[in-house]
Amino acid sequence: MTRTAGDDVTSDAAPATDPSGAVDLRNVSRVYRRGEPVHALDDLSLTLPDGSYTAVMGPSGSGKSTLLNLVGCLDTPTEGTVSVEGRDVSTLSERERARVRGRSVGFVFQTFNLMPRLTAEENVALPLVFQDWDRADRLDRARDLLGRVGLADRTDHRPAELSGGQRQRVAIARALATDPAIILADEPTGNVDSDTGATIMDLFADLHAAGNTILLVTHERSIAERAERIVHIGDGEIREIEALDEASEPPTGERR
Amino acid sequence: MDISESLRMSLRTIRGHKLRSALTTLGIVIGIAAVITFVTLGASVKAEVVGQFGDTPANRVFLVAEPEDEGGPPAALSQPVFTAHDVDELRDIAGVERVIPRGTVGVTALEAHNQTIARNELVATSPALFEGTTFVAGGSFAEGNETTMVVNEPAATLFATNLSAGDRVTVTRKGGTTFNLTVVGVLSENASVNPLSGFGTQPRFYVSTGAYDTVVESPTQGVTQRVYPQVTVVAEDPTQTQAVKDRANEYLDSDASDARQLAPESYAVNARTNDDIVERIRNVVNRLTQFVTGIAVISLIVGAIGIANIMLVSVRERTKQIGIMKAVGATNRDVLQLFLVESVLLGLLGTLIGVPLGAAGGLVATVYADLPLTLPLIWVGIAIVIGVLVGIFAGVYPAWSATRVDPIEALRYE
Repeated sequence: MTRTAGDDVTSDAAPATDPSGAVDLRNVSRVYRRGEPVHALDDLSLTLPDGSYTAVMGPSGSGKSTLLNLVGCLDTPTEGTVSVEGRDVSTLSERERARVRGRSVGFVFQTFNLMPRLTAEENVALPLVFQDWDRADRLDRARDLLGRVGLADRTDHRPAELSGGQRQRVAIARALATDPAIILADEPTGNVDSDTGATIMDLFADLHAAGNTILLVTHERSIAERAERIVHIGDGEIREIEALDEASEPPTGERR
Repeated sequence: MDISESLRMSLRTIRGHKLRSALTTLGIVIGIAAVITFVTLGASVKAEVVGQFGDTPANRVFLVAEPEDEGGPPAALSQPVFTAHDVDELRDIAGVERVIPRGTVGVTALEAHNQTIARNELVATSPALFEGTTFVAGGSFAEGNETTMVVNEPAATLFATNLSAGDRVTVTRKGGTTFNLTVVGVLSENASVNPLSGFGTQPRFYVSTGAYDTVVESPTQGVTQRVYPQVTVVAEDPTQTQAVKDRANEYLDSDASDARQLAPESYAVNARTNDDIVERIRNVVNRLTQFVTGIAVISLIVGAIGIANIMLVSVRERTKQIGIMKAVGATNRDVLQLFLVESVLLGLLGTLIGVPLGAAGGLVATVYADLPLTLPLIWVGIAIVIGVLVGIFAGVYPAWSATRVDPIEALRYE
């Protein structure tokens, strides 16, 4: 692991953004007004190029969840613009943002967040339901994706019948369902043991190798080190962008 | 999101909470079952009564003198106000084919074949009554003939040895005197000769007006005449029934009629056609049905509140799932649709259980009341529409509140 480009990227570093990237945040602020105004993000600019793998680290309350929600179109910035696939999503209506969420963004959560009554394949196919795919087509696609994450023999299982690692792999398959521009992962290994966590991270490495753009939020350095670069956030601002060499190789000798 | 997927997901949720769903729909089940039961009963009563009247020709106008605004059975309280003079005058009205007076002769017993049975009345009428009806044996008596009678089949079988044409019957009057009658005809059982005094299935003994002994001094003629409680005017042409009824009313309201002067102050002399009577019975049945349906509507409202309540709980329970769906691309419309479909399914489920239950209730009620079952099929359709409407009504607010779920909050929710 080598630390390069350890220069502080402050709010003035707007030229670092690139609207042609998968995701582009420009001078984004997000202020929550509950009693005292809280600046969750403060004039932050960041570009996620196509096919990049970025980890975001920072203490709790640093604004990394807010960042994820903004990129995922769950939230809108108070100021600045958020572009996904070159389209400014900060001014879209709720309905249009739901469309972008469904088509261009894939979420992987710490707590898996699968639908308990749906089988693995139905969970994976769920995003396609809202894209109006035919049932047969979307289940075909779901089985295909479950095969890619190594769960071809678990398609009919409900989440309760799967282990934590299996559930997270179902969630990853679901995130891939609409072939999104960006995969957002929020502490994806936070609820599984370290061995399982390693296989999950291998899966992300595979996805990256296959050309997917990934934004991963974590507070574990060993997890963050699997990315191409680590963006350190504090108090709603980017403290440091750390580029990692040999990003595609597991730096700590974990098995692939 | 297509509707079939909403249906699939909603069905799965409902099946996942079988007991809860069953209890939720109970209000709708009871409401719909009550509506169907009473509507079925009402329709059966209506069909039976109207069917009976439908047997009588449409060209008849029935004259009775009844207490005003009395809702009781037609003619039950009619007083003898129509004199022989009135009968003659009515017969002269334009368009009248014949006039059939009707009264009762008070008796105590009838004896035939050495067997005596108790009987409190004979029906006194004119042979015109029997025109167009069916005799199984013999025929009508002659006008004014005091020694012959006609019986219907139920009456003939009151005796151990059935009465037949030619049999002699000894009648004991209320005063104790006796006289003899010869049976000249037996009416078929389903000959419905006068809807104003019960139906063909009841035993009836008919004698001519010659044996009728209720008399009064005619106020207009000054002579003693027979006086009848009921008169039936038969129009020549069924399409002229209404006109004949109007002319009969006109006569009865005039000073020339005895009926008007004989009727007590609080009594009205009414002329009614078949249609009037059917209409009146229909109104009574409809009013009853409306009343019971009103009560059932209360049950439906309670049922709707039950569904709304459980849907609110369901939205609260599934906050996280709503968040997940929104995160993977569900629009507010998708969420609204999903919960509305679930609520409508609950309403529909209640209806689908309630309709057969109500039909069974209607069947039991009609069997108990000895009526032929008439299932108003239109009400099955109405019930289904009601079930869907109740579901929508109950689901709108919960479904709307589901769309208001903030996915960020919901996903944090454990």
